[in-house]
Amino acid sequence: MNAVVIYLLLLKATLTSFAGMGSLPQIRQDFVETRGAISDQQLSQAVLVGRATIGPMGAYVVAIGYFAGGWLGAVAGWLAMITPALIAIPLLALIQRWLHLPRIRAAVDGVIIASAVLLLGSGATLAIDAIQQLMALKS
Amino acid sequence: MNQTVGPSVRELVTAVAYEANRTVGGGLVTIELLRRRFSARGWLDAASHGVFIAISRFTPGTVVLAYVVLLGWRYHKWRGALLALAMASVPASVIVFALAATLARIDRYAAVRALLAVGILVASALVVGSAWHLIRPYLPRASRLRLIVIAAVAVALVVLGATPVRVLLVAAVMSAALPVRSTES
Repeated sequence: MNAVVIYLLLLKATLTSFAGMGSLPQIRQDFVETRGAISDQQLSQAVLVGRATIGPMGAYVVAIGYFAGGWLGAVAGWLAMITPALIAIPLLALIQRWLHLPRIRAAVDGVIIASAVLLLGSGATLAIDAIQQLMALKS
Repeated sequence: MNQTVGPSVRELVTAVAYEANRTVGGGLVTIELLRRRFSARGWLDAASHGVFIAISRFTPGTVVLAYVVLLGWRYHKWRGALLALAMASVPASVIVFALAATLARIDRYAAVRALLAVGILVASALVVGSAWHLIRPYLPRASRLRLIVIAAVAVALVVLGATPVRVLLVAAVMSAALPVRSTES
């Protein structure tokens, strides 16, 4: 599969997700179902490798890129992973410009509080997942 | 946001490279480790961290990468942002590439799976600690109503299966609509 196509497909998936593994449904749709570029087994291997590795979970897209297009595909996957992060810079500029307004400050406060709730949910999910793995190993 | 003394480029790169590449369990753990390191050195205040978290959550893609871009940008603009982004993403990507290339099946061995599970358990504790740190500034009486209302709505939306972005958008709109007290930060 062409590295440029891999980049564009993975970029579409990362741009429409807001967490490391959030891009998974879109990637499965494009790479497994629509194009048949990788198998479900390869998708599972990519997820496993991403979870077992240091750093962001989103790095599993590098493995997707590799399975779909070799080392050039892996580079395309890395580029697709890092490109959306640069959007944070104009967002910061916008927030800083308007942060002195009480309503904008209140909206940011709301996002921070909701982020904490989402973090608690993520922490609980991770803990439950780990406990289930340990119990499965024990039995 | 308060302006604090920041790290040199070398200190920034070293800090991001070290903290982003020593844990499994995802970027939320890395963010908490970065917060601790930067706060301990007086480089990052709680308000700036909160804003960075909020923006990172609203940025598409991987949350921790957006966070390190903001850290790098704050202290050294494009140079800092790109170097921090590279430090947080290249080592993990190289390892993922190597593992994928050799088709390593690291979960075949029980000891590896157990070690990974314990690592993730520790990571989950760090993530919960990060959530507590975000909530703590809103515990004083002046902000408590906002905290209770927004947290309750966010929990309800999560339970109903709303996506994180929808939860954040509703929280932003609701919080902006609540009355703002002059004593609130």
